[in-house]
Amino acid sequence: MSKLKTKNLLSQLSDLEASLNGFSFEELNMEEAKALKNSFNRFKTQLNNRIYGADRIIEDDSSTIKTVSLPTVAQDNKLIAYVSHEIRTPLNGIIGFANLLREENLTAGQFKKVDAIQSASYNLMEIINEVLEYSKLTAGIEDFDSIDFNLHGLIKDVMFLCQTLIVDKSVTLTIDIAPNVPKILIGDPSKLSQIFLNLLGNAIKFVEKGQISLSVAVTEQKKGIHMLQFSIKDTGIGISSEQLGYVFESYKQAELDTFKKYGGSGLGLSIVKEIVEKQGGTISVTSKLGTGTTFKFLIPFRKGNIQNIPKNKPKPISTEKGRALLGGTKILVFEDNELNQHLISEQLNKWNCITYVTANPKEGLALLKTHKIDIVLMDLKMPEMSGFEISKSIRSLEDANLSQVPIIAFSADFTAQDQEQCYASGINDFLLKPYTLNELMIKLLKRKKERNLTQASLRLLQQETISTNEQQWETVDLNGLLEECYGEIEMLEELIRLFKQNIYEFIGAIKIAISNKNFEEIYQASHKIKAGLALMNTKGLKNLIVGMEKGAKNEELATIEQQFSQFLAQYPLKEVLIDKELEKLKKR
Amino acid sequence: MNKRTILLADDDALLASLLNFRLEKAGYTVDHVLDGKEVKAYLSHSMPDIIVSDIMMPYFSGIELINHVRKELLSQTPIIIISSAGNEENVLSAFELGANDFISKPVSPSELLVRIARELNKATI
Repeated sequence: MSKLKTKNLLSQLSDLEASLNGFSFEELNMEEAKALKNSFNRFKTQLNNRIYGADRIIEDDSSTIKTVSLPTVAQDNKLIAYVSHEIRTPLNGIIGFANLLREENLTAGQFKKVDAIQSASYNLMEIINEVLEYSKLTAGIEDFDSIDFNLHGLIKDVMFLCQTLIVDKSVTLTIDIAPNVPKILIGDPSKLSQIFLNLLGNAIKFVEKGQISLSVAVTEQKKGIHMLQFSIKDTGIGISSEQLGYVFESYKQAELDTFKKYGGSGLGLSIVKEIVEKQGGTISVTSKLGTGTTFKFLIPFRKGNIQNIPKNKPKPISTEKGRALLGGTKILVFEDNELNQHLISEQLNKWNCITYVTANPKEGLALLKTHKIDIVLMDLKMPEMSGFEISKSIRSLEDANLSQVPIIAFSADFTAQDQEQCYASGINDFLLKPYTLNELMIKLLKRKKERNLTQASLRLLQQETISTNEQQWETVDLNGLLEECYGEIEMLEELIRLFKQNIYEFIGAIKIAISNKNFEEIYQASHKIKAGLALMNTKGLKNLIVGMEKGAKNEELATIEQQFSQFLAQYPLKEVLIDKELEKLKKR
Repeated sequence: MNKRTILLADDDALLASLLNFRLEKAGYTVDHVLDGKEVKAYLSHSMPDIIVSDIMMPYFSGIELINHVRKELLSQTPIIIISSAGNEENVLSAFELGANDFISKPVSPSELLVRIARELNKATI
């Protein structure tokens, strides 16, 4: 598996390299851009050596020593986890810098190249995440959540995503949930979505015309445990009986030509199998060439309670608010990677934080003593002294003002063991790289709030929480539109129906246009949908569309894709709000 | 007076549906067409009292529509163009070619009614 994935990785890296080479850093004349390129090249050489070096040793062994044993799963996993970590750290820097570069005054050509770097980096990140997840799963590291979730809502969300994948095909998707299946379950919703998306995504890939159905039934009910059977059935091309035995095996999977034709990393089904089995379930597949394939999996769930489901999600915080809340905060950063040093300072400076960055533990401790530091950010993998050790020495300082400083650790990978060690070393919180700016800010705010909060920032934070609560009850105001309809609710209902239809058509058109890189079509479709969004009073969505329109004008595919994926993520909520508002107006 | 007829050309079913509703409530007869081809077909057999057309339409843009009405059909039927921000240049050429008025998106039905009435009044005087 590692070999196949390695090849894949290296080809992704070559893509990334190609876009970097096409990038004219001289034009930019930026220190950071040079750092970016150097760091990338260094890391690629290292990686090449690491991977091929490791393989060569094994090959050399096999030629000299006859009784060579293949690397065990454990060794394989360790290598993967190690290599993944090596890649994620600099990649985090590359992505972060590409993000910052976008905010400079770039020419259209430069912008395109930054986009190319970004999209190549994201592709690479996706593959690395998949590899890492697979290795974690097989090593038993991956944790499973056990929380209450709404199965119907989850299936609806999954189906919405799938609908957007089939608009250019004549495929119908059906759902059938038996009435005795509990609505609220206790388990890991994100893992379940992942299984659905993988299996349904596969089905969609292989069906051009026909049906895909998802059905859920209870096969057994004992002591509060419901054994649920999920079936995903398609009328696609089917799998031959020889290949059927291999579908869940990561590197023997099907044949290479299927691989080439339909793409994918080849790990999807083996991840699915691992996820199902780790939850105490089983999975099986039946198929007939030309007729279709059915995947069935059983997972035991306990019935949950709707009251335990948190109702609101964290809301993005604007840069301005970040400034108001964090401005002037003194932050000491222990980080040895030069690229990440630059990145974190840029990020923190955006919020007007006063930032001190060091790779040297002694220097860091001295800064802590002399500069009234509010928060410490700690990279765990430091060269001289590990982040754990530095944290311990901070906690053992005599001056309580200094020893109680909040410490947030960040690392590119994090095991349960690391977590324990964090608490043992007095680390308050941690962030997994690559983190989003929002995650960073939330962690910082949380610590700052506990530390010392000025009256003004306390007020702002309260406003923040209040508006978050409001968002939970966010509504779409359709009163104006109802007035335009002279109060005729049937007319409003008809308009809403047309609105939804327009949106579905829009999503379909954009999907096709993105895959064909048809910027004119993207522009036209985005332009058209704006009027409807304005009528429905959905400003946030409209802004995303304006972004897509601009992206289409400048022919920036990455911008379009980014805005569009946000649109896809936000639209379902708006639809729910519109329906709610309609119900409310109907009752009046 | 006979009911006045409005030809409404817009491929956005949502907006057109709202406008249709409001215009009919105001006492007009509305003929709604979805694209440029349908506009041409319609105009080949009848001429409305006023044309309200989106500037961006499949097959045959609002600009081409004005050209067709003024240069080929030699008709002075009032034409109101629906446009949106970012299309200012097109609106200018629409006026040059003989459009009578324009309204920008998001269209307020009440505003459109006022503009239609004004054009129709001018036309009758």
